[in-house]
Amino acid sequence: MATQIVMDHTGDSRHQFDPADAAAVAEAEARFKRLAGAGFAAVKRLGEGKSEILRSFDPTAEETLFIPRLQGG
Amino acid sequence: MIWAEVGKVAVGAVLMAISAGVTILLVAGMEATSKRVERKAVTLLQLWLSPEQAEQYSSHGHFEVVGSDTGTRYRIRHGRMMNIDQLDSAGNKVCEWCFAPKGNLAAGDCMLAQKIALERFESGALAIANHRPA
Repeated sequence: MATQIVMDHTGDSRHQFDPADAAAVAEAEARFKRLAGAGFAAVKRLGEGKSEILRSFDPTAEETLFIPRLQGG
Repeated sequence: MIWAEVGKVAVGAVLMAISAGVTILLVAGMEATSKRVERKAVTLLQLWLSPEQAEQYSSHGHFEVVGSDTGTRYRIRHGRMMNIDQLDSAGNKVCEWCFAPKGNLAAGDCMLAQKIALERFESGALAIANHRPA
């Protein structure tokens, strides 16, 4: 199962999907586009503290984190 | 007549006590929720830290990251605001930076976003950040 993690006021909200399920992948891709369009940064966890910014939906990513747009404090 | 007045006072006192009780329960509930959210965010942060960063955070309440564009070292302290120290080669604090994700997020989420931003798109993050000298 792959997981999309969206940071929010509850800590985060998680959405799991089966990469082998075409309908679930399509739903996950739609979520990716919706969040990216809203200014969220999508980040793929690579392990050992490393990560990669995703510019487009990656159905092979086991864990994708969505971070709200940054602002100066 | 006097019993009617006593009755009004008694009812008022009971209502005030109920109101105070409800307020206490609401505040306690909010605090419990806040702690639960914070724990959840810190758990997520710890999963995304390197083993070395996790050890630093566990021991000292802060961890270091290296900027993706300049190789500069930063120390991210537990918190949400003004919690990023830029360090010189000797580990001395040069200045503080402040940026965070929009929304009312827990400290753990803010720290994770700051780590990823500095490690993956340092210049872009600092371009929107506020800073002040040490």
